[in-house]
Amino acid sequence: MESPDTFTLLPLHLNPQSKAISSTGTTNNALATELAALNTLHRSLLSVDTPTGTPPPPVPVNPKRSAQINKLRESGNNEFRKNNYANAIRMYSLAIEMALGRPAWEPSGLVREEVSGLLSNRAQANMALQNWAEGAVDAEASVEMKKVGNAKGWWRRGKCLLEMGRYEEADAWVKQALEFEATEQDLVQLKEEIEKKKDR
Amino acid sequence: MWPFDAVDWLTLSIPFAYLFILVGSLAVFSSLYRKNKAAKAASLAPWFPPHLQRNIYLSLLHMEPEPGHPKVPDSVLKAALLRRATEDIHRIVQIRNAKQALQVLLQRGSVGDDLWQRFQRAEKEIEEELRDVVNEANAFAPNWGQTIFQSASEMAQNTHLRERLAEIQSTTQSEKEWWEKRKETIKSDFMKELDEEKKSPMEVSSKPSGKTGSDDDAVIVESGGPAATAGKGKKKKGKH
Repeated sequence: MESPDTFTLLPLHLNPQSKAISSTGTTNNALATELAALNTLHRSLLSVDTPTGTPPPPVPVNPKRSAQINKLRESGNNEFRKNNYANAIRMYSLAIEMALGRPAWEPSGLVREEVSGLLSNRAQANMALQNWAEGAVDAEASVEMKKVGNAKGWWRRGKCLLEMGRYEEADAWVKQALEFEATEQDLVQLKEEIEKKKDR
Repeated sequence: MWPFDAVDWLTLSIPFAYLFILVGSLAVFSSLYRKNKAAKAASLAPWFPPHLQRNIYLSLLHMEPEPGHPKVPDSVLKAALLRRATEDIHRIVQIRNAKQALQVLLQRGSVGDDLWQRFQRAEKEIEEELRDVVNEANAFAPNWGQTIFQSASEMAQNTHLRERLAEIQSTTQSEKEWWEKRKETIKSDFMKELDEEKKSPMEVSSKPSGKTGSDDDAVIVESGGPAATAGKGKKKKGKH
């Protein structure tokens, strides 16, 4: 970094209509990526409805989007109960998209929580359709978002791997899961099941 | 005057000259040494690469409003400042993570003093950078300085989170293909087995008729067989 009093003047150009910033000089990759990110952020910043035009502090969260996500999740759950698994997957996917579309300055912990639950539900719907591969990926993503207190997510990927006949992977996965959720009865059972299959 | 007449100025000048030369040479040496050291510290490679976001922000801020170039709107500057704050967050995290390890390494003598000096300079720079960002933020909106780093930290984490998620989700396609292939092999193995067992070529003949078709066939065959528990039984059977 330069000293606090100096900076490198970059050859930037402002598009008068779109207000997009671009570089007029020789563009390197880093600058181009950064400017693209800046322009995206600028667009999302324009939709902020605070009087000063600055992003509001992370909490409290704008309840509108949370309500929409909840609604989509509920309808997904309803479809699931009616055994319309394909529809349920669609609803969950929409809800996930909605949750990931939150403005970047909103709390990331909240996004993790929401997305993890939704992915876990989608994994369940995929499993009901015997889409073990998709279920496994969804459950893995769900666990990645939230490792502790997500026994269902752990269990679902283990189950999917087991169903696909990937016993070694399933075994390793469930062992890892038990480090987080040692008391979960379902996981212990799944482990026994996997070991039985593996020994054969 | 008495005392001055009695003094032999020439002889007296010798000790004074001696003192002067001694002190002078020490002073010259000390100043040269310090200058040298400062120059060395300054010439050490900086800890971080150039702060691109800061350069962009300041370039935008100093853009001259010309006829063809309207003044940069505040919203763009705010976005640029947010990007700058986010990059600062990354840097602070790096500094914090590196500090403890570096201290231990320095105590053990595993790393040189140069590295520690570079690190300390980076630490000082980042402190000033933070102060600068807070001041700039407060200039845009009252009290924004108090929350800009909260927002920036969430932004950094949100980006990281979405990247991880995209990474995992991008494996879906290959996993799916792998599983389709695997399913086919299991199925054909099972069909062969059945073929050998029952010696009935009629049922096998309809095997290569697409994915869903063969699925149905498998179920039909299975319901006639001894073990019938949905798709799972079928796969297990193929394994024998």
